[in-house]
Amino acid sequence: MKRRSVLKSAAMLAVAASVGLAAVPGHAQDKKYTVALVPGLTTDAFYITMRKGAQAAADALGVELVFQGAPDFNPVLQVPVLDAVIARKPDAILIAPTDTTQLVEPLRKAHDAGIPVITVDTFIGNGKYQTGSGNADFPLSYIASDNVLGGRMAATALANAIGEGGGKVYVSNVKPGISTTDQREEGFKAEMAENHPNITVLETQFNENDANKAASQLQAVFARNSDLKGVFGANLFSALGAGNGVQQAGQTGNVKVVAFDAPTSIIDNINSGLVDVAIAQHPAEIGYYGVVSAFAHLTGNSIPVAIGTGFTVINKDNVGDENVAKYIYSD
Amino acid sequence: MTTTPTDGTPVASNGRPQADHADLAKTLVQRIADLRAWLFLAALIIGFEAWARSSFGGTFIFNPFNLQSIAIFAVAPLLLATGQTFVIISGGIDLSLGFIMGLAAVVAAHVINYATPGMGAPTAILLGFLVAILVAGIPGFINGLLVSRLRVPPFIGTLGMFGVARGVAFLLAGGTTVPVHNPLFATIGNGRFIGVPYIVWITAVFVLVMHYLLSQTRFGQHNYAIGANPQAARRAGIDIKSHLLRLYIMSACCAGLAGVLYSARFNAGAAQAGEPLLLDSVAAVVIGGASLFGGSGTILGTVAGAFVIAVIQYGLVFVNVEPFWQFISVGVVIIISVLIDQAQRRFSGGRIDE
Repeated sequence: MKRRSVLKSAAMLAVAASVGLAAVPGHAQDKKYTVALVPGLTTDAFYITMRKGAQAAADALGVELVFQGAPDFNPVLQVPVLDAVIARKPDAILIAPTDTTQLVEPLRKAHDAGIPVITVDTFIGNGKYQTGSGNADFPLSYIASDNVLGGRMAATALANAIGEGGGKVYVSNVKPGISTTDQREEGFKAEMAENHPNITVLETQFNENDANKAASQLQAVFARNSDLKGVFGANLFSALGAGNGVQQAGQTGNVKVVAFDAPTSIIDNINSGLVDVAIAQHPAEIGYYGVVSAFAHLTGNSIPVAIGTGFTVINKDNVGDENVAKYIYSD
Repeated sequence: MTTTPTDGTPVASNGRPQADHADLAKTLVQRIADLRAWLFLAALIIGFEAWARSSFGGTFIFNPFNLQSIAIFAVAPLLLATGQTFVIISGGIDLSLGFIMGLAAVVAAHVINYATPGMGAPTAILLGFLVAILVAGIPGFINGLLVSRLRVPPFIGTLGMFGVARGVAFLLAGGTTVPVHNPLFATIGNGRFIGVPYIVWITAVFVLVMHYLLSQTRFGQHNYAIGANPQAARRAGIDIKSHLLRLYIMSACCAGLAGVLYSARFNAGAAQAGEPLLLDSVAAVVIGGASLFGGSGTILGTVAGAFVIAVIQYGLVFVNVEPFWQFISVGVVIIISVLIDQAQRRFSGGRIDE
């Protein structure tokens, strides 16, 4: 029954497509699709902005969006939420898996139940889907910023901010094992090693998402390395803490701070000079493409196995520009 | 009641404390054991100093920058641990402090943003402080009701409030961080007076007041009595219910102060501000010599306990050690503290909780 109605909608979409995408909502009334979005955590401006983009696409397509997640970025908390979402049998699941291996089996349950899975922001397995090899290639698509590229952009921005003299820098990171922050660090280190020989990257400090600890670590690293010239905060609290550590050490302007992600608190710090550069992802686009891809698949169209969304580099010079301001994560 | 009640002996209304007839050697051992957190701290500092000198010829403790950084780091865990000390001495525990801190941080940010345009920066900050600490008192009040009137075990009652405070804080914050737009507030969070950050001054004064409250007042004496032996305390005429109610409100207000200072320092209120600090606060109290069974502990011990944790975490980065050793070292110090505590009780003939 269900399959037939899917086919029917697919046929309708073919008709609708010829009329134009704007006409779709009217024609899709027979079957209102439900798409579930399970974020890495619910309490983060990045995922909240992603939800907004997803909602915009859902409204445009006449899809019902369900947003359910755990308050922490942790597979132990995410899996029960996912199970509950699967139990409600949505037509498709968009998920930011909180672990590359621990989420494989829980997501396979959805796949086995005939619910298409698309991963957003983070991935399972190696992130290469529909290859026919490996046990984690069943999701249809991976939609995200290229975090390795983002890390490289952070390295370039930091090297530019430091200038000719070079010096020591380090990565302030959350904890190991998170695919996105690991990739940012990897990209940052690779770019520094390949293209900025006058910059030395010190050992990474992990702060467990505690700004207080990130600040203290910056002060300790600076106390030990007086030629510290910069720090890359791989997520919000890493950057917020590192920026405060620089301020407490009285090194504002001398030790450069590059932040990954651009919620309003980071933008305030760019205005006040505590943070030099923010690498903004485009989470709204991730959410938007996620819902559109799910809808396209449900209506019988092919979708790309990977969609990369871009980055915007925000600094003091362009922060007031409205073309840039739209990439600030809003609540 | 001439002896300090830190040795774990019940301060009963009629009985003479057992230490009175103990011989001098025991008392000496006891005194050293009471100071164990400070001895730990001294040993750690000497250890890091030796490490720094031998590995790269630098100094750890004679570098004012290091002292300042460690003090700033210790502020938030110490404020939480101060409230926690009172609760643990009374035989309870407060697991909701971390998210009460986050709640206060978010409330302070919102109130200050709301009030600054109309009232001016200083009044808005004052209002932010007051409202945030009052709001923090609400979950404390509910904790107190649960524990004192409804006989809910503190572990469960405050665990429930942990969830409630967390949810409310995230709802108020809209799931994200709330930036504060008030430059004077940022100055309070990051400015200095004679080289020492304001937030360290505020914390130092606050902790001294709390030390006085615990060691010199009737409220403090009742707290020890209830923790050591609730039945005896009740028979001695202490109003346990009203004491516990006030106690949990007070510990929540300590967390509230920590939250406001967090917002001032990072210029943003974050609901998850105190989440990673809760276990550190319990650890600081235990390292400081308090027993989780109640009846013993001091604020000054907790101060040492908080600094032990801060020195380990700062020092290991300073001497450039693999980050994961931090967890191991804090864990080892906690276990050693508890072992010393047990040995001391056995040796002094006091109650051994098993």
